[in-house]
Amino acid sequence: MPGFDFTNYNRNAALHARGVPLPKATSTGTTIVGCVYDKGVVIAADTRATSGPIVADKNCEKLHYIAPKIWCAGAGTAADTEFTTALISSNVELHSLSTGRDPRVITCMTMLKQHLFRYQGHIGAYLVVAGVDPTGTGLYTVHAHGSTDKLPYVTMGSGSLAAMSVFESTWRPDLDRQGAIDICAEAIKAGIFNDLGSGSNVDVCVIEKDQPTQLLRNYMKPNERPQKERNYRFPRGTTAYLDQRVISKEDMKKYVTIETLSGDDNLATGDSMEVDT
Amino acid sequence: MRGPTVLKAEDDKTRQLNKHTLMAFSGESGDTVQFAEYIQANAALYSMRNDTELSPSAVANFVRGELARSLRSRSPYTVNLLLGGIDPVTEKPHLYWVDYLASLAPLPYAAHGYAQYYCLSILDKHHHPDCSLEEGLALLTLCTDELKRRLPIDYKGMLVKVVTKDGVQEIAVDNDKVVRSA
Amino acid sequence: MAQKVVEAYETGSGAGKNAPFVPIVHESLDLQADRLLPSQSNPFDINGGACVAMVGKDCVAIACDLRLGMQSLTISNNFPKIFNYAPSTYLGLTGLATDVNTVSDLFRYKVNMYRLREERDIAPQTLANLVSSSLYEKRFGPYFVSPVLAGINPTTGKPFICGFDSIGCIDFAKDFIVSGTASDQLFGTCEGLWEPDLAPEDLFETISQALLSAVDRDALSGWGAQVYIIEKDKVTQRLLKGRQD
Repeated sequence: MPGFDFTNYNRNAALHARGVPLPKATSTGTTIVGCVYDKGVVIAADTRATSGPIVADKNCEKLHYIAPKIWCAGAGTAADTEFTTALISSNVELHSLSTGRDPRVITCMTMLKQHLFRYQGHIGAYLVVAGVDPTGTGLYTVHAHGSTDKLPYVTMGSGSLAAMSVFESTWRPDLDRQGAIDICAEAIKAGIFNDLGSGSNVDVCVIEKDQPTQLLRNYMKPNERPQKERNYRFPRGTTAYLDQRVISKEDMKKYVTIETLSGDDNLATGDSMEVDT
Repeated sequence: MRGPTVLKAEDDKTRQLNKHTLMAFSGESGDTVQFAEYIQANAALYSMRNDTELSPSAVANFVRGELARSLRSRSPYTVNLLLGGIDPVTEKPHLYWVDYLASLAPLPYAAHGYAQYYCLSILDKHHHPDCSLEEGLALLTLCTDELKRRLPIDYKGMLVKVVTKDGVQEIAVDNDKVVRSA
Repeated sequence: MAQKVVEAYETGSGAGKNAPFVPIVHESLDLQADRLLPSQSNPFDINGGACVAMVGKDCVAIACDLRLGMQSLTISNNFPKIFNYAPSTYLGLTGLATDVNTVSDLFRYKVNMYRLREERDIAPQTLANLVSSSLYEKRFGPYFVSPVLAGINPTTGKPFICGFDSIGCIDFAKDFIVSGTASDQLFGTCEGLWEPDLAPEDLFETISQALLSAVDRDALSGWGAQVYIIEKDKVTQRLLKGRQD
């Protein structure tokens, strides 16, 4: 397992003891959902990333690749969902290469929960794992502390309650592909409009047996900003500047400098260095 | 100082790092001298090993690196530093400000602690880039006078050292001058 | 992006608590003296500073302010926060000054090692992933910095910008990235002033006005600004005339 580097930990703990608050990372105050249907599974997510009350990213990607037929939706600390899924994706690929079999969703879920449990919830990743493998369809939730659930439809993140209300009122056991996509998109929209931590667009991922996985990025854009009627363009020369320096392409080449040593010619004996042009 | 007691009135709070670089320090007593002499020894070691002297910028970045490293340890040094020096190659003067968090900034003039509040405004007004030695000393007197006038402590005076291309020399200053409050 | 914890203004108040109401204060001297000790404040807000990057048509721009402070006291008005790592790749670092120094030095080392190993310059996308993984390595003892990256890919010629939080989560944006103590203000000015496909000269005006307007409403940023306009085979660096208060 790659290690974390704790060299700054003591310094920051000392600062914290003096009353300095620890930094708050970008969190995906999020709505993520998943739903199984007759031949496969659909997961969906909104695309808003927040930092406190500020919208840090209006169109981020919360659907993460694990394997061609296993995908993951992430909520919680954005960096943790990003790196945890990347790490598990890497290990799942190595595992399937060494076993010579397609990776299974339950394997991936187990690796995730064991990793997260080891860090006792300090890695703030809340995930929906979905996929299709030789044993059938899999849909799980994994919490940051390491607990998991297996259900036919799941929601997570700050918009999970809004999204779950859609599933609880309209979910049927005999959904087809389009039915599952529709109900997932509707659940995400419930999060987008009723939860302040969620917003912008709907991303959908459809995983089906014997069918290539489809990532429907920005499947719905219910919050498009209309084109500005007029612009605030400044006339050139508006901003006063005191000094300017132009670095031309020739100067850029000087970035790598080659200097001939003066004096004894025998000093420089190696071949001259090759430089990109 | 130990609590309210003055232990020594003429303590030299500077260390010469090499021929052209001088470091002044303030902060936690014990930490200051310990850190300064550690730096002094390492700068000397470098000069001996390589038969050349580090430039002020190289020294400053080395000092900052050591302080930043100590900051991440269990017991960091609480030391504020000012580093002055002449580059032996270009013969240009440099001044570096380093605080106990190991922030480094090259500056035309600098101070640490409460002195900043009194002196920086004076230096902002009177300093100019081609300031001569005489003007600089006059400016320093202006600053120390203000400290004597405003700081609610018995100010024991200044120790002034000048770094030129010929090395470091101490300048005699009249510390007994009485400054009247406004 | 670091969350800003509202500083409690009353003397002796609880450390770093979110104040429910922050009064507008006409700074008095005793309040300033109270803030000489950088304790009980957010490490991202001790030294101050702001940085912004924007995409234009076949160009990108990145700009920063020049202030270095300790709380309300300004130490320097010539502390640039943008660092060059390849002919058309620049990284802006705001946050705790000591970590701005440390992280910029660390990446200079890492990028130099990359250049020696690969015998080519680092692409902005590669640097983005290097920054991200280097910051996440310190997930449980982070550097208090919010980096902003701007550059043009040397092979595709496409503009690229992105931002990071202090633990390495990348924010890929098509329009602009902001960071620093004036980031709230910058979000506002950029959202209002930015438009797609600006030519280099127009992008310069837009980014400069966005930055200057934002830092004028932030007590901890300003004191001059620096702007880089990065084109395929030319970089223009400008020093802006800014308020000195």
